[in-house]
Amino acid sequence: MPRFLHTADWQMGRSYSRFDIEDGAALVEARFAGIEKLAQLANEHQCDAVLVAGDVFDAQTVSDRTIRRVFNATKGFDGPWVMLPGNHDAALAESVWTRAQRLGALPDNVHLALEPGVVSLEAQGLAVLCAPLTQRHTYGDLTEPFSQYETPDELLRIGLAHGSVQGLLSDDIDATNPIAPDRAEVSRLDYLALGDWHGTKRVNERTWYSGTHEAERFRNNDAGNALIVEITGPGAIPSVTQVVTGRYQWHQWRETLAIESDLEELLNRLTALPDASVVDLRLDGAITLACEERLLEALSVAEARFRSIQCDRSKLQLEPTEDDLAELHADGYVGEVIGELRQRQQEQQSEEARDALAILASLLKGRAQEGGQ
Amino acid sequence: MILQSLRIEQLRQFRNPFVLGNLQPGLNLIHGPNESGKSTLVRAIRAAFFERYRSTAVDDLRPWGDSAAAPTVALEFEHQGELWRLTKSFLQRKRCDLTIGTSSFSEDEAEEKLAELLGYQYPKRGASKAEHWGIPGLLWVEQGTGQDLEQSVEHAGDHLKSALNSLVGEVASSGGDEVIEVVRAQRNQLLTGTGKPRGEYAQLDKDCLAFEQTIGELKERILRYQEQVDRLGKLTRDYERTEAERPWEEVQRQLEQTQARYQQVQQLEQLQAQEKETLGQLLQSRRLLEQNKEYQENVGRQLAARKVELDKAQADLHRLELQKPASEARLRDAKAAYETAAQQVKQARFQEARTRLAQDVRRLEQRIQSLTQNLAKASDYQQQLEQARLQARENRIDAAEVKRLKTAEHQLSEATIRSSAIATRFSWDLEPERSVILDGDTLKNQGEQQLLEESSVVIPGVGKLGITPGGESLASTRRTLATLQQTVAELRASLGVDSVVSAEERLSAFEKAGRAQQHAEELLKSVAPSGMDPLVIEQREAQRELEAAKEQLSATPNPDASMETPDLATADVAFERAAAALTVAESEDQEHRTALMSAQQARDTAQAEWQRLADEEQSPERQQQLKQIAEELLGLEQKAKTLEQRLESRSREILEARPDLLKQDIERYHSTVNNLRQTHEDRGRELRDIKVRLEAWGAEGLEEQLNNQEAELEWCNRRYQELHRRAQALDLLLNMLTEKRQALTRRLQAPLQKHLDHYLSVLFPQATLEVDEQLRPGTFTRGSELGQVTELSFGAREQMGLISRLAYADLLREAGRPTLVILDDTLVHSDEERLDDMKRILFDAATRHQILLFTCHPEKWQDLGVPPVDIQALK
Repeated sequence: MPRFLHTADWQMGRSYSRFDIEDGAALVEARFAGIEKLAQLANEHQCDAVLVAGDVFDAQTVSDRTIRRVFNATKGFDGPWVMLPGNHDAALAESVWTRAQRLGALPDNVHLALEPGVVSLEAQGLAVLCAPLTQRHTYGDLTEPFSQYETPDELLRIGLAHGSVQGLLSDDIDATNPIAPDRAEVSRLDYLALGDWHGTKRVNERTWYSGTHEAERFRNNDAGNALIVEITGPGAIPSVTQVVTGRYQWHQWRETLAIESDLEELLNRLTALPDASVVDLRLDGAITLACEERLLEALSVAEARFRSIQCDRSKLQLEPTEDDLAELHADGYVGEVIGELRQRQQEQQSEEARDALAILASLLKGRAQEGGQ
Repeated sequence: MILQSLRIEQLRQFRNPFVLGNLQPGLNLIHGPNESGKSTLVRAIRAAFFERYRSTAVDDLRPWGDSAAAPTVALEFEHQGELWRLTKSFLQRKRCDLTIGTSSFSEDEAEEKLAELLGYQYPKRGASKAEHWGIPGLLWVEQGTGQDLEQSVEHAGDHLKSALNSLVGEVASSGGDEVIEVVRAQRNQLLTGTGKPRGEYAQLDKDCLAFEQTIGELKERILRYQEQVDRLGKLTRDYERTEAERPWEEVQRQLEQTQARYQQVQQLEQLQAQEKETLGQLLQSRRLLEQNKEYQENVGRQLAARKVELDKAQADLHRLELQKPASEARLRDAKAAYETAAQQVKQARFQEARTRLAQDVRRLEQRIQSLTQNLAKASDYQQQLEQARLQARENRIDAAEVKRLKTAEHQLSEATIRSSAIATRFSWDLEPERSVILDGDTLKNQGEQQLLEESSVVIPGVGKLGITPGGESLASTRRTLATLQQTVAELRASLGVDSVVSAEERLSAFEKAGRAQQHAEELLKSVAPSGMDPLVIEQREAQRELEAAKEQLSATPNPDASMETPDLATADVAFERAAAALTVAESEDQEHRTALMSAQQARDTAQAEWQRLADEEQSPERQQQLKQIAEELLGLEQKAKTLEQRLESRSREILEARPDLLKQDIERYHSTVNNLRQTHEDRGRELRDIKVRLEAWGAEGLEEQLNNQEAELEWCNRRYQELHRRAQALDLLLNMLTEKRQALTRRLQAPLQKHLDHYLSVLFPQATLEVDEQLRPGTFTRGSELGQVTELSFGAREQMGLISRLAYADLLREAGRPTLVILDDTLVHSDEERLDDMKRILFDAATRHQILLFTCHPEKWQDLGVPPVDIQALK
């Protein structure tokens, strides 16, 4: 009863431009840790093999260190790993794979499907039909030859491919590397392991996208999983189990603050998030000075707790209340300036005015607190 | 605030307590001469307020030389209904005590109360300086600084403004200025004065650019890397295909076929060339034969030609032989003429020689004759000469001696005569035979003798008689006479004469012989200048020559009388002409003979040639040869024809095979093979190169680098945007705050302006003085004059300074602040008129403020309307 682990789109070598360097480094580390986690899971679930459906590497020219680390990370599982070149790491004449070979970084149990064909894992009862990308983009269905591949009857026919199942994913995803939706049926596959789509997705009972093992973008598409596939024998319907591999959850929230309870709710939601979160907040609407103070405090707490939290408040207007102003002791011409800034903020939607108001408020608050002490 | 009394002790020259009491609420004029302590009082008031009681920097307060002193100032003043008592001691006893009404304060607390009341600061350390003085700095004018208003206003700024704020009843914003300064400071961290980015903000911009450039370069390299990868893929496919197909092998086969074909053609060409050569040899043989044939046919023609040549030679010879006698005759004649001419020349020579010899004989004979005559004459003259010489030798006498003799005789005769005259005449007449002896001479007979000397006469038997001649000159005469006699005798003896006459005779004979000798000598010389012997030799020579000439003459043959003998010159010319003619004749003869021999030779040769040809023509071998040649020619002709036909057919064959194209084909195939192989090898090489390159580039992790750089850039950009927004916000905030602040200041200026105008109208009725944003008197106008206060004269500036200070005082008073005006010897630069105006102003101000005016010129302030206080009197 063969059982294998289906994963894809590791995108190793990617770095994170939007985060602080320290956070970005941690997220990169998490991707390496994710591979180790896969190996661990493969052992735990007594898998016979691990199939990686493309885009192991994010680019052809990643550093030697990255190459070595990737293969080092697979060492936890000593069964066969079948790795398929995807569009990011296509098997070109010179590729990240040829470099890995030259570096001698490849463990013996890692099988590279650099050419279209069958990787036969007889001991594991698997015949892996591979459709590697040998060009950066192709416009034909590389899985088409699967129908011609003859495999021993006793072995399961497992397809391994990287591309977009046609008609399934939204149109804005480029139509390169197309894959026929009925490939598994047409080519008599017991299972078709796909990569390219970063979220876990079932196409049909025999065709799945595993998604990436560690989320790397905010688009909410159920990333950070692997699939444990168990097939009792040729022709049997696969039993597919989704297991969590990702460490970090990525959240991107767009919120409008209108009344005080909106902030309340937002803060509650933030509090509910696990520590291993990457959060991107974009706020608009308006906020009183007092509420902003609460918000800033909450963000400060969140910064310490989460891997990363970014909050864009440029569209969130400051609406000081009379109480706020009284607290600021903004008398005389300073008071006049506050009034004018508020007016500008509202009438001209001026970010400058908003920022200026925030700066002035914080200065005055600081003074008021000093005075209070 | 009204200062009521001032008490000082142990302070500078006031070692003992000094009290300035009874101070009035309005004007107080305090005067004293220089060094009376006027300035010390002012200093004491200032020290009481400004200096920290515990300050160590107030040594100037100490009385001179008193290190144990504790300078003390005690002040009493009233403010807002309460009495303030301040006692401050410095140095040795550092203390400060203040009572306000019933409340007491001491030390720092007391000092802070005072500073708050009057509006000034204490220095953090050291002595109090102008920047600490605040409002008192403005109202307490030190000697000679009344005109310097700006600094004072600046130092008083905050206090003034807070006073103004309460006055205008407007909130200036508590700490608003501080906020402005913070905002300005924060803005200036990001922006320069002109609004350009600075510091991190500017650096980020540059960093972004740098990152973008690096990213651009990386992208470029990645693109190149990808191109190379694609190229590598294509090359690999091509290489492998070529390696499998090996297209050059097919071409190689074609090449070999073509080469074989070309070789065949080459062989044909070789054969062709050989046969062409054979044909050429045939043709050559034919040509030789034809030449031979032609030669044979030529012999007859040659024979005729030879005959003509022979005849011509014969004719030439004949002609020359005919000319031979004439030529020989010409030569003979020439020889004869030559010999005749030679004979003539010889005869002429003889004739010439004879004539010359005959002349010689004649000349010599004459010469001998003349020599003989000369010789005869010469021997004659020689005899005469010898005779004369003999004569002269016989009669040789010295003419001078003769003359001396004559003179001596003449003198003697004269002396004798003179002595006879004076001499003692001794005469005797003796009896015969009787004799006497006079001086030894026996005298006999008679006689006379003159005696000139002492003489003795011996008369035998009688004795002797002495005679002594008398007279004085007798002795000298006697001596002269004796001398002369002796001289005459000597001369006669030497001359060998006995008398003058004979001497003269001899002399005459001698001279005559001399003349004769001279004559003879001259004659001899005329005929024989060198003497006789040369003449004799000459004569002998001439004789010999004569004999020789005669002999020669007789030996010279006498010319043939029959022939006419021409002269030598004519004969020579004729001879030369004959010789030339002979030479010509000889040469002509030679030529002729040569020509003759040549002609003979030519004739013989021609004869032989002709003979040979004639013989040959007739020979039977020749006929045989001619026949053979004709046969051979025929054979050759046939052979050549066959050969030519073969050559032509083969030539066509070669032409049809197109060897040139074959050759090009070979080249083409050859280079194709090379090119194919080369391309393949190049491809292999490029493949290896690209692989190596890609390996190197791949090792750099370009895309990962790009990723990282892009991350950095984005971070940079984000940070830049943050700072940008912050800079914009700060800029906006600063502008707005500043604007509002300025607007407020303008509102605050109004009350100050009011007070300023009040005083100004007294001093300069038509003038205006505007207060600027810093509440300083700024622009001054008077009629058409317009300018800053600082541009006015010193005196005017001092006056302006004072009225400004009074205006500030008014302002402060309105705001409920204490105002005490202290003027130390002020307005010393004002003229009478202005001073009067200023007095009015001061008097007016004194209705609102307490004014302490210290001066050393009390007379100037007499009309101030207050009693002056004399420091001296108070001591």
